[in-house]
Amino acid sequence: MQITVQAKSGELTFDCGQHESILYAGLRQGVPLPFECATGTCGTCRARVMAGDIDVQWKQAPGAARLKPDKGDILMCQTRARSDCVVRVPSELAIADAARPAARRGIIRAIRRLTKDVAHFDLHLSAPMSFQAGQFVVIEAAGVAGGRAYSMVNFAADCERLELLIKRKPGGRFGDWLFDELQGEPAVQVFGPLGRAVFRPAEDRNIACIAGGSGIAGMMAILDHAVQADHFRSHAGALYFGVRTLADAFYLEQLSRYVAASHGNLDVVIALSDEAAATPLHAAFPLLKLASGMVHAVAASEMAARDRDVLTYVAGPPVMVDSTIRSLIAGGAAIKDIRYDKFG
Amino acid sequence: MAWKRICEATEVAENSVKKFEVDGVPILVVNYGAGFRAIPPICPHMEEPLEESGVVARCVLTCTKHLWAWNLQTLEMQGETERPLKTYDIKHENGVILADIDGELTYDFDSEDDMDDDFFK
Ligand SMILES: Cc1cc2nc3c(=O)[nH]c(=O)nc-3n(C[C@H](O)[C@H](O)[C@H](O)COP(=O)(O)OP(=O)(O)OC[C@H]3O[C@@H](n4cnc5c(N)ncnc54)[C@H](O)[C@@H]3O)c2cc1C
Ligand code: FES
Ligand code: FES
Repeated sequence: MQITVQAKSGELTFDCGQHESILYAGLRQGVPLPFECATGTCGTCRARVMAGDIDVQWKQAPGAARLKPDKGDILMCQTRARSDCVVRVPSELAIADAARPAARRGIIRAIRRLTKDVAHFDLHLSAPMSFQAGQFVVIEAAGVAGGRAYSMVNFAADCERLELLIKRKPGGRFGDWLFDELQGEPAVQVFGPLGRAVFRPAEDRNIACIAGGSGIAGMMAILDHAVQADHFRSHAGALYFGVRTLADAFYLEQLSRYVAASHGNLDVVIALSDEAAATPLHAAFPLLKLASGMVHAVAASEMAARDRDVLTYVAGPPVMVDSTIRSLIAGGAAIKDIRYDKFG
Repeated sequence: MAWKRICEATEVAENSVKKFEVDGVPILVVNYGAGFRAIPPICPHMEEPLEESGVVARCVLTCTKHLWAWNLQTLEMQGETERPLKTYDIKHENGVILADIDGELTYDFDSEDDMDDDFFK
């Protein structure tokens, strides 16, 4: 089937298979359709169907709340084509810069619990994937309706093994499946890489990473890449990692290694929202600092005392990302210096 | 021309926004330090309430949802912003802010004639 997209900047046509969303079909062919979450929550991929038959997969998607279905409004990430279609997109179609995402198969292996509600797992891909630090993939498992986005923790080129992190959400379908029901090494569908909140050493910037809970996943990839590129020899870095209590923090050994390799230029602060930090430094990992408070507030006050010329990455639950962006902008940050992923 | 009183200038703190209703028309007053603006209270991107998602700093209004932003002095769009902000004309007299309100300003998310090109506006 053929999809014709009408945008402010002109018209484009691409192929769409029966079993893929209009969004994924366009993205894998290099059509830069607007999107953020790729999983039905944010509403960024909204479009209006002008002609053709469609099939909406997830009718209750939160991202569709403000759409007018009677006028043909859809979320492209939740809609498949049943015939040739013409759709309108209310934005410019900027030129795609990143590598094109593609569909692959994957096998979930080596699930390791890190805390009571966090697990790290590997995804072995049917074909290697190149991705940038900070990107994510969407995983579809048989028996769990819809896709779930997870950010890569590791960073490597041409990589067959993705390392991912999941923080269980109470009552969440994918989390329940992965923690309780999964047996053996199940095969899943994988689409990616996706996401624009990426780190490139060549941009030559000081960086700050602000993560709420599982938002740490992509930050680990960013720090991994930065350390591999010896970025901290000549640039400052900071990571603010928000968790409830010290018992909820993880990756501490890895983070200590990054600090040790940073020529004294990487600061890692664990912000505890629900308990007071007993000591300024972590007792077992003294390269890591502790602070009390919500991570956006801890980051804002520490960053106010530092160099303003910094590119800031933010990831975590939507409310955490919104409050962080608010304090960054109120603190004088420019929008071009903020990159974010909202996890939901 | 219908100049209507919205609020006292002191009711809206510097670098903040506050929502008012004048004859049934919802209006967001923005104090950006060097001046005031009166605008519809929703973001022209995806209709988020700017009362919650708007931040004002350095003469720029930013929506925290997807970082659309406008310079409040020149109304120039910043970064990847794709739609201009609509504004009511205002006057600032004796500490009172008045706006020229001749019906509610809206963005065409779903106007009846958007089968033409309004969807893009
Ligand atoms: C860009 C991005 C990156 C993310 N990275 C991470 C990460 O690294 N680690 C992490 O733990 N979490 C991450 N998340 C959140 C993650 O994708 C899941 O939302 C979370 O794990 C909860 O999933 P769940 O199935 O347990 O909860 P549920 O409440 O069952 O589902 C949550 C999400 O799944 C999708 N969904 C639910 N039902 C349907 C349906 N019927 N049809 C289609 N879609 C449906 C929706 O996107 C929904 O928001 C990320 C999210 C985004 C958007
Ligand atoms: S990209 Fe489709 S709803 Fe977020
Ligand atoms: S809703 Fe305001 S920027 Fe998207």
